[in-house]
Amino acid sequence: MPLWTLRGLRRGIVTTRYPARPDASAALLPTPPAFRPDVLTAGLADRLVAVCPSRALARDGDLLVFDVGACTACGRCQAEAPQAAGDSGEFELAAIAREHLIKRIPLGGGLG
Amino acid sequence: MTATQPGLADEPRLRDLLTVFGQDGAGDEPVITVSVPVADLSAAVRRIAAHPGARLADVFAATQETDGPVTLRLIWGLDADRRYLVTESLIEGESYPSLSDIVPGAFTEECEIYEQFGIRPANGRPLNRVALPPWAGPDWPRLGRAPTELPKDVHAPHHVGGHAFEFPFGPVRQVAVESLYYGLVTSGEELVDLYLFTWHKHRGVEWRLRGMTPGDALFYVERTEGLGAVGNTWAFAAAAEAALGLEPPAQAMAARAIALELERLYNHAAATVALCQSTGLVIGQAAAEIALERLLRVNAAVFGHRYLFGVVDLGGTRADLDAAALRSDLLGAYGELERAAEALLSTNSFLDRLEATGILAEETARRLGLVGPVARAAGLAADTRADHPAWPYDEFPLAVAVADAGDVLARFRVMLTEAAESVRLIGEIGRTGAGPGLAPPPGAGPGQAASSGLGWAESSRGESLAWVALDDTGRITRARLRPAAVRNWRGFDDACRSQNVFTDIPIIEASFWLTVAGTAR
Amino acid sequence: MTGQSGTGLNVQETSEELRRTVTRLFGRSLHIRTLDTGSCASCEQEIRLLAAPHYDLHRLGFFFTPAPRHADLLMVTGPMARVFETAARKTYDAMPDPKIVVATGACALGGVYQPDPFTRGGVGSSFPVDVWIPGCPPSPLALLQGLLVAVGRLAEKVKDLDFALNGAPR
Repeated sequence: MPLWTLRGLRRGIVTTRYPARPDASAALLPTPPAFRPDVLTAGLADRLVAVCPSRALARDGDLLVFDVGACTACGRCQAEAPQAAGDSGEFELAAIAREHLIKRIPLGGGLG
Repeated sequence: MTATQPGLADEPRLRDLLTVFGQDGAGDEPVITVSVPVADLSAAVRRIAAHPGARLADVFAATQETDGPVTLRLIWGLDADRRYLVTESLIEGESYPSLSDIVPGAFTEECEIYEQFGIRPANGRPLNRVALPPWAGPDWPRLGRAPTELPKDVHAPHHVGGHAFEFPFGPVRQVAVESLYYGLVTSGEELVDLYLFTWHKHRGVEWRLRGMTPGDALFYVERTEGLGAVGNTWAFAAAAEAALGLEPPAQAMAARAIALELERLYNHAAATVALCQSTGLVIGQAAAEIALERLLRVNAAVFGHRYLFGVVDLGGTRADLDAAALRSDLLGAYGELERAAEALLSTNSFLDRLEATGILAEETARRLGLVGPVARAAGLAADTRADHPAWPYDEFPLAVAVADAGDVLARFRVMLTEAAESVRLIGEIGRTGAGPGLAPPPGAGPGQAASSGLGWAESSRGESLAWVALDDTGRITRARLRPAAVRNWRGFDDACRSQNVFTDIPIIEASFWLTVAGTAR
Repeated sequence: MTGQSGTGLNVQETSEELRRTVTRLFGRSLHIRTLDTGSCASCEQEIRLLAAPHYDLHRLGFFFTPAPRHADLLMVTGPMARVFETAARKTYDAMPDPKIVVATGACALGGVYQPDPFTRGGVGSSFPVDVWIPGCPPSPLALLQGLLVAVGRLAEKVKDLDFALNGAPR
């Protein structure tokens, strides 16, 4: 079908080179948050826990426990406390064990 | 959503109808709610159904306590009058006058209400299982009380000249499609009948939303049908906003509209992909996939998410809108779809598979109360953006895309026309300064009354409705979600039946472009 | 496919050997079956795009198959709606060993839905899951990375990420 063949040839190749080369489109993707230990207090942590709709956050004493697997990158925690939570920029998140997705971030800002 | 057309309640026709319910006019309110005693329900349904342009858009029930009386609500789209009419009837006993005797399309809802609330139409006709699995006994969690007699599977009798056999297909089907069960009735190659079980993905969303605040509920509404996230969350947010008396700021409404049109665009591109795949046109599929991927990247660049999650918020929108990205990326992405479509419409082997396949007659579409491109391609010119407009759609009217052949090709053409309209609308709405904004939250605390509201949006699949009732603390006592898929799946077997063969089914399914998730909620 | 401890076996070595076996078997030609246990449908759309020109999983030796007997890897989405459990079990059982199970998307990993009468709240209690891919939905790039990790062609990255800004110690 010359109609399609010519179109295809003119269009060229759009295929990503990932994983051999990084893909620029990754920069558009929403990513799970990363947290600032030196800013995190127990009070802030509790607010983040309360605002997460997917139960990806919990507080265990002086640790913020973050379940990357449950995170939907909805951004509510970042909106709630932008000083404490920002973008991680990470999208390569596949894990071979579920525990590898549970992160413990110290509450460096104190238990206040 | 407030109507901006003054004086439509002066329309004599609408006034006559409302007089029946003891009202002499509706003012400018886009939603009219009337109480109908159950003894008058049949007569009321007949009267409304006879009103020009009336369409039964949804039927659902609610109850305060499991064993208490049930409120039956009917939502009518009075599309010619730009109103919705909600009738409420209190059902004390176990039965109510049959709705499907007057409006056949209501049968599905009668079945669902029986499963969830244990009340049934008085005509005694057998009811089907719709939303719950066969083993859902009396202890199954429901929105109301369990039916005294569990419904069986009863399907329309089919007449076959010769032998017919039934074979099950699914729920696990082809690669990367949703779980769905078909019962195919065939005499060989010809499809005599087809029935669907959509309950395999039942997640009890309406059950789960009870007790939540509308803001928290939005997270789940968004993920009920991810491919309809904007349409469904808009309808739900609008329902809660109506209940709470919130008016989103203009720039937020414009942002919602842009997101809704972007959602329409990528879904229509995805339907094009599916049409090519179902007809075996791999090269067309690749061209449409390039368009789809580029459109999803536009979504991510403009609103931060490929599927536009997180755009609609209670009271407006919080999401940033990157207008520069919209201006620079949209036309190029749409151009891919336009060029693919042009090539497809010149490929006879492709068109041959689409023409006269999966014909849905206008009368069938009307009888079943279908919505969206499926209905418009059968000749029903209903589109919520034109019939129940809110800003910005009332300021930037659209040309409703209609066709009359009712076949797969007509549905494809309607989607392509709508895609072009969407791009035009985005351009116009974009110039009004769309962006984030939230109405101030309602004053919390005692003194807030229980309230309810209806919301709607024209999703890519058609009218998406939501109705919500809140208690005096602002928490949900009943949330009704009615994505367009809930209405349109009931037209699928009609489109598939007779004159079609097995290999036509994926083509017809692609042209409907519904989701199972949208109905199995 | 985690290493099992037993008398005299070095877990680390066994686990490495298993990983090498997986790569040898599946590294260059892998057939993938998908299973929807109650998703919102957006995970499926991203999975479909793996075969689209922008991503083209075929160039990596990955292929989709609808036939369970032909499949090596099961990609599972959704929170495991309880009404679906029988169909899910049958799909898993119909695939011959050796097979890899990849839980895909936040719902399958236990986010979004809590365990309740309607859903199990994830697929981890229904299958022996080998790889977990977060996301809502995971983008095709994330899915590609997950598949490459599953067959040992890419090393897992997330284990060593601490999701703390300013590099605070774990």
